[in-house]
Amino acid sequence: MDSEDDMHDANDVESVDDGFYSGETAMDSDDGDAADYDFIDNDSDDSDDPISHRSQQNYTILNEDDIHLRQEDNIKKISSILSISNNAAAILLRHYNWSVSKVNDEWFANEEKVRRIVGLLEEPRALPSGKELTCGICFDVYPCDSMSSAACGHPFCVTCWQGYISTAINDGPGCLMLRCPDPSCSAAIGQDMIIALASHDDREKYERYFLRSFVEDNRKTKWCPAPGCDYAVDFIVGGGTFDVNCRCSYSFCWNCTEEAHRPVDCDTVSKWIRKNSAESENMNWILANSKPCPKCKRPIEKNQGCMHITCTPPCKFEFCWLCLGAWSDHGERTGGFYACNRYDAAKKEGAYDDTEKRREMAKNSLERYTHFYERWATNQSSRQKALADLQQMQNIHLEKLSDKQCQPESQLKFITEAWLQIVECRRVLKWTYAYGYYLPAHEHAKRQLFEYLQGEAESGLERLHQCAEKELSGYLNIDGPSKDFNEFRMKLAGLTSVTRNYFENLVRALENGLSDVDAHGGTSRTGGSRGLGAGSSKSRGGSSSSRNKGTAPTARSRNIDDSGHWSCEYCTFANAKSATVCQMCQQLRS
Amino acid sequence: MGSPSQASLLLQKQLKDLCKHPVDGFSAGLVDESNLFEWSVTIIGPPDTLYDGGFFNAIMTFPQNYPNSPPTVRFTSEVWHPNVYTDGKVCISILHPPGDDPNGYELASERWTPVHTVESIVLSIISMLSSPNDESPANVEAAKEWRERREEFKKKVGRCVRKSQEVM
Repeated sequence: MDSEDDMHDANDVESVDDGFYSGETAMDSDDGDAADYDFIDNDSDDSDDPISHRSQQNYTILNEDDIHLRQEDNIKKISSILSISNNAAAILLRHYNWSVSKVNDEWFANEEKVRRIVGLLEEPRALPSGKELTCGICFDVYPCDSMSSAACGHPFCVTCWQGYISTAINDGPGCLMLRCPDPSCSAAIGQDMIIALASHDDREKYERYFLRSFVEDNRKTKWCPAPGCDYAVDFIVGGGTFDVNCRCSYSFCWNCTEEAHRPVDCDTVSKWIRKNSAESENMNWILANSKPCPKCKRPIEKNQGCMHITCTPPCKFEFCWLCLGAWSDHGERTGGFYACNRYDAAKKEGAYDDTEKRREMAKNSLERYTHFYERWATNQSSRQKALADLQQMQNIHLEKLSDKQCQPESQLKFITEAWLQIVECRRVLKWTYAYGYYLPAHEHAKRQLFEYLQGEAESGLERLHQCAEKELSGYLNIDGPSKDFNEFRMKLAGLTSVTRNYFENLVRALENGLSDVDAHGGTSRTGGSRGLGAGSSKSRGGSSSSRNKGTAPTARSRNIDDSGHWSCEYCTFANAKSATVCQMCQQLRS
Repeated sequence: MGSPSQASLLLQKQLKDLCKHPVDGFSAGLVDESNLFEWSVTIIGPPDTLYDGGFFNAIMTFPQNYPNSPPTVRFTSEVWHPNVYTDGKVCISILHPPGDDPNGYELASERWTPVHTVESIVLSIISMLSSPNDESPANVEAAKEWRERREEFKKKVGRCVRKSQEVM
């Protein structure tokens, strides 16, 4: 949203936000804007400055009228710069995916070539002279005035034109690039001609394609991917994050158009989504819990105790689950049906090792995946629930609470704020589980830090959620005002703020790739510039030295880490204490 | 154009024209006198090509919205050719419905446009017989043979030509 005004008509969530700036609560600051408060880089103390919020806003939400306006604007711009008709400008822009600068560049580089490619004739030709003309399609002869042509002058009768245009429009968006029906001619057919000749319904379709093309073929715009949402987003790539909060209240990632997933990157998200939907998990399950029938190779799950397996018809092969050998071999020679010593022997020889190992690994990997998936999915549904609760709170409960507790609704903003925080945190937390799944197992320090930050954030969020959900309902269901309502206000607002800090730490840490614990972490720049939350939360709970290393911004830690190594200013190589010259780049120790 | 009656008027006119002024290289008529939308065409294998001397029969089926959509053409004689499916269906770009190529990759001169007539279509097919396009083959086997084992390809085509003569 580029301005507060834009948001007024948006929806409940947002309109409540507007009030935040006026309604002072026990809270300290300006976090009314749910859209970005989690992500504002609060590393300095000027986070109260609304300008810093604005600068984060690198997109504009467009409704249909806005799109029309921008499209017309671009067309007018091109038409006046190149001194061509609006029709020709529209054809050019459509051909170069609505990029004004591209059209300019190409046109001024080689106008003739552009004209040829796009089908814009320099000098329009009139219909051939003569009282009567033959239509090139139906071969009937018509008086001159009931014929028309594109700029090329190839004459066709109006009926044939109408058929041609209507067929093209009903064949799809290709109608935006329509050319003269004469195969030897590539003259483009302008919008005016199509609008004039198409039927009412076809015209509407055409105009729809024309509008859609402006959004879909334009690299700077996309439709909001939420089902049923008609807003488009104009995005300026380059600054800040990819997160977009549409006016329909859906937030998504501009880059991959999945749901917003900051601080986790798009690759991880797409890998995760693919993994969730992929057959691969089924395969892992089959691998872990079944064996193929040795004869027909269909996978069999053993769900009963006996080792004597009989495959289902038509195979009906009888075999031993342990050694996969035919059951007929398991008579006296093996010494009893349920003691398959051939298995032990073969296993010693290593014959089954590979398959066993694979099965074991698959089982482990499945368990690991299930761990992360469960938490990802639970936070997802938890967020959905919180969203619903937030709606209900705004639509019903706030008013009721205001009556019961004799508080003006403006004094109850802290509740909405808490819920907005919960919704946002659930989203972040959810994606950190995808992140955690792909965090390499051997990066112990990173994993430790990640799990610590995630744990802090999660337990903070649980306290907040619990308080907003359970304790609040107590105040809703009693008859008169409660004395301790102010205490509750303090508590919930406090939890909201604490949780926000935890999540800010988590987001920041993930966004810089957990670099606080890098091998030569002493020089980590992000560690040094830490503001409020980071230091405090870590020193509160942090005990491991690897954690403290990056976060205590003392002079010593800038260049020398705990073990006495000093880190080269130029190449960051960690040198022994005794060295005066960097062993890596030969720079003098500063 | 577009309504069935106009499609039939146009087909009627073309039929009359072709009767009055036959074109070298093929002959055309209706499969059934009462149905203007199904034509039977006999294409004479173009001289100085592998198909020389053959008489290849094909059926042209026109849609109700001809000429805004193209007809389909199917050889009933056996034709071994990279751009003819094994069931005889002819695959050339001017016969692709206009909507098949919304991005305009095919050149304007290669797309279907309502300007095409029975005559221009058949002439395109004749030119296809003399110069196959093996970049987007309908019959992959034939295309591979045409590229890599020309002798075998020639033999197969020769067999098709002889078969088509026997039927006559």
